Amino acid sequence: MVKGLIADVQRASTHDGPGIRTVIFFKGCPLSCVWCHNPECIEPCQEWMYYPEKCIYCGKCQYGCFAGAKVICGSVMTTGELMEELLLDKAYYRRGGVTFSGGEPLLQGDFLEEMLKNCREVGIHTAIETSLCIFRESIFAKADFVMADLKVWDSKIHKECTGIENEGILENFRKLNRMGVKVAARTPVIPEINQNIPEISGFLKTLENVISYELLPYHSMGITKAAALGRNMKVFTTPSPEKMEELKKYAYIR
Amino acid sequence: MLTYADRLSQIRETKIRHTLEKRKQNGYTDLDDFGTVPLPEGYHVEPWYNSDNGSFYGYDGMSENFCRVLDAHEPYVDPMELLCGRWRDMLVNYRGDLHYMPDWIKNSKKNQEFIQKGATRQWSKRWDEQRFPYEELKPWQEKYNITTGIDGDAHFACDYRIGLQLGFGGFMIKIREGKRRHPEKMDFFDAEEKCLLAIDRFIVRHIKKIKELLKGEKRPEVRKTLRGMLNASQKVRTSPPDTFWEACQWIAFFNCVSRIYTRDGAGFQMDVLLYPYYRRDVEIGILDDETAKFLIANLLLIDPHYYQLSGVDEKDKDLTNHLSYLILEAADSINIACNLTVRVHSNCDPLFLDQAIFYLLKNKNGWPRFCNDTTLIEGYMRNGIDKKTARERLALGCNWMAVPGREFPMNDTVKINIAKVLEAALEDLRREEERSTEKLFNLYEKHLKKAVEITAAGINLHLDHVWEVTPELIMNLMMHHSLELGEDSSRCAEIFTVGVDGAGLAVVADSFGALETRVENEKILTWENVFDALESDFEEERVRLILNSAPKYCQGNTVSDQWAIRLTKSWTDMVKGQKMPEGRMLIPGWFSWSRTIEYGSRVGATPNGRRAGEPISHGANPNPHFRRDGAPTAQASGIASVQCGYGNTAPLQIEFDPALKANDKGVGVIRNFIETHFRQGGTLININILDRKKLMEANKNPDLYPDLVVRVTGFTAYFASLSPQFRQLVVERFLDVG
Repeated sequence: MVKGLIADVQRASTHDGPGIRTVIFFKGCPLSCVWCHNPECIEPCQEWMYYPEKCIYCGKCQYGCFAGAKVICGSVMTTGELMEELLLDKAYYRRGGVTFSGGEPLLQGDFLEEMLKNCREVGIHTAIETSLCIFRESIFAKADFVMADLKVWDSKIHKECTGIENEGILENFRKLNRMGVKVAARTPVIPEINQNIPEISGFLKTLENVISYELLPYHSMGITKAAALGRNMKVFTTPSPEKMEELKKYAYIR
Repeated sequence: MLTYADRLSQIRETKIRHTLEKRKQNGYTDLDDFGTVPLPEGYHVEPWYNSDNGSFYGYDGMSENFCRVLDAHEPYVDPMELLCGRWRDMLVNYRGDLHYMPDWIKNSKKNQEFIQKGATRQWSKRWDEQRFPYEELKPWQEKYNITTGIDGDAHFACDYRIGLQLGFGGFMIKIREGKRRHPEKMDFFDAEEKCLLAIDRFIVRHIKKIKELLKGEKRPEVRKTLRGMLNASQKVRTSPPDTFWEACQWIAFFNCVSRIYTRDGAGFQMDVLLYPYYRRDVEIGILDDETAKFLIANLLLIDPHYYQLSGVDEKDKDLTNHLSYLILEAADSINIACNLTVRVHSNCDPLFLDQAIFYLLKNKNGWPRFCNDTTLIEGYMRNGIDKKTARERLALGCNWMAVPGREFPMNDTVKINIAKVLEAALEDLRREEERSTEKLFNLYEKHLKKAVEITAAGINLHLDHVWEVTPELIMNLMMHHSLELGEDSSRCAEIFTVGVDGAGLAVVADSFGALETRVENEKILTWENVFDALESDFEEERVRLILNSAPKYCQGNTVSDQWAIRLTKSWTDMVKGQKMPEGRMLIPGWFSWSRTIEYGSRVGATPNGRRAGEPISHGANPNPHFRRDGAPTAQASGIASVQCGYGNTAPLQIEFDPALKANDKGVGVIRNFIETHFRQGGTLININILDRKKLMEANKNPDLYPDLVVRVTGFTAYFASLSPQFRQLVVERFLDVG
């Protein structure tokens, strides 16, 4: 039986697609963006996270930590187990549904595809949040809605910031266009990085399937989690409201 | 030219000033704002005590002291307003009730002497214990931390249709007729007449004040409205109101005096009741929508009674009308602590619900709230009540409903702290050799049964004698049969469906869940470990955390969720099963009111990892930090599963994501949320959508935001007026949203 590695399940999100949604954070991502706000979702394996400020120094770590100071990130779940969790809020999905996020959900393609199929069978609307560095036609054919990132226009800078070049991602955007899958495109705005947002916006406008382009201000919420994983992460500047206002002209809804 | 907008802005400034002054005068009050204004310099009332225990009771005691307090009230006329009248002080302040007593009375030396003559926090002198003692009940009431309802007042609802039809003059005619017909009830009618004459003097003082102001007023537009105010006041002094303006002024006067008497805050179905006046005035061209809105805003400002909007009638026909929308707009224009409830039913105009949600999101001031017109009515009918009567039952208090003019429910005045009941069961279990959650539950039920019996005995004592202690002389005026029979409402009401609420559900459910998980299933702890930990108030923090990190109520299908359902069934069966005399019935609900701190202070450490003295859980809500994501859907599903089902509520008190905006998406999300919770069987939703930054800053320095309103339990209050502990509770609930 195919199993998934899930970092977290968040119920009642109103930020990750239409309506009220449950968001599933898949663990594992081929990218390692320097600004990542979910660094615990990068490694495709279980990891310990340490929050020393919660430690009560009982000296009984080996018998289990109940203080929340040492927690394991990543639960191995069957599709049945995860469905059970998703169904808890089914009554509230009338205009919402489930969003598969991460990490990169397509990295666990078989599990994701099975979940999409199960959701469709019980009438739950599905959305995928993806970096589009992986493509699997059968998955996109089963999802009701896709949110995809195009983070940096220049492929070299893209590689420096995320670990991979972006040609494949651009091609995957085109593939989705050919498939006619509706996509909401997004770019996290990081003031220190030359992302060439006008060019990204221009490219996306050539694709008929991209129904909206949204700019999301960088936030530093990943830093605490990175520290809990024992990693150092660079802190970037949160773009000012003025900067976001200035960039607003590149965002659009069709 | 002074516009309505100019007037509103000046009125709002006055309101902010009053809120700050009142806090100076009263200290922190974890209560509704009530619309009161500060006391003027030199305000003094000399109470008349007719009992040698230093308090006053009965028809003569209540009527005489009502007259004294009302006569001490100076008129309140603000030329910026269209309606006049405010209240400042209430009778209960002179009967030794420390719970409500403001600082200005506590700090007065004379009053302190009186208070120290035997009143305690729990046992005030609102009840005449010399004549109606209940010493035998007290040890049990203490043991189970029962809020008895003995000595309670108000907490039922007048039928405003009676008042609007008769006016104060009509009341007097009825009283004088009653005197003729029932000479044996002379003391009742004398007291009613005396109160009514005091109300007349109160109105006359307002008329005089308006005339004085008119003399010095030069602005033509203000002269015009002062004249309107004068005409309305003169008219309603004796006659029933004919116009919309007069109806609002009549209600303003009645509400002020009713508040002074027993803090009565139960309003009415505002859109339906006022619509005929509105329609007639618009048709004959004496009223426009802007003036109607201003009058409503003015009425809401004078007193934030619980008013209800929309819903359906007994034939399930939509009651929403144009005035329903105007009332929302009026509340938006004044944007103070409003206690508006929208009745939600699938037959109602969906645009109205959207509009109501829009204002909730726009103002982030906790209004309106929403009640389920289907579940509540069906539930109430399960008590053998017909549909027409059940449909008339309005949401008129923090958590409660009442049939206007016909029901005497004592709602929200009777509570059992089930965390305290659990404590008693744990003490018993410790003495047992065999220990299990099953055994604990049996012991809990044994104590609960006793607690319900004691509660019922208290309720019966109250109902048998309250007419001799605290007759409802003002609310009687608008209760069916009271003036006709010469009887207090507590004796002549048609329905006695008495609400009994349980408090501390989440603490108890999580305690059972933690014991089952950690002791019975995982065997990480032994029963002895737990008892030692409770006794030492968790000397070993690790033990506390083991228990506290067990699956909780509202996480979704957890062991504690199952316990919450089982506890609800047990609570409902026990309360409903309690035999009562004279057609009285007990109706179960879950609600703690704002007593979570006080109740918690009476309970030692509990097996859910709650330390001794910490607050208990709020109403039917889960414990704070029940889920990392604080998911409102998880909370809503949990609370829907613990409804008692007889027409009283287990309200959903919820903080929502402040990022939700007053746009189509925000309205859609909230609407879906409300409708789904109600489809699941939920009864009442109180929503706070607060601005995080503002709330945190206001918590540090409340005076920065004197107009910030939060929904505390069922009522809304100014954040700046709440005690630091209460502010912290609101903040913690909010932080759970993540």
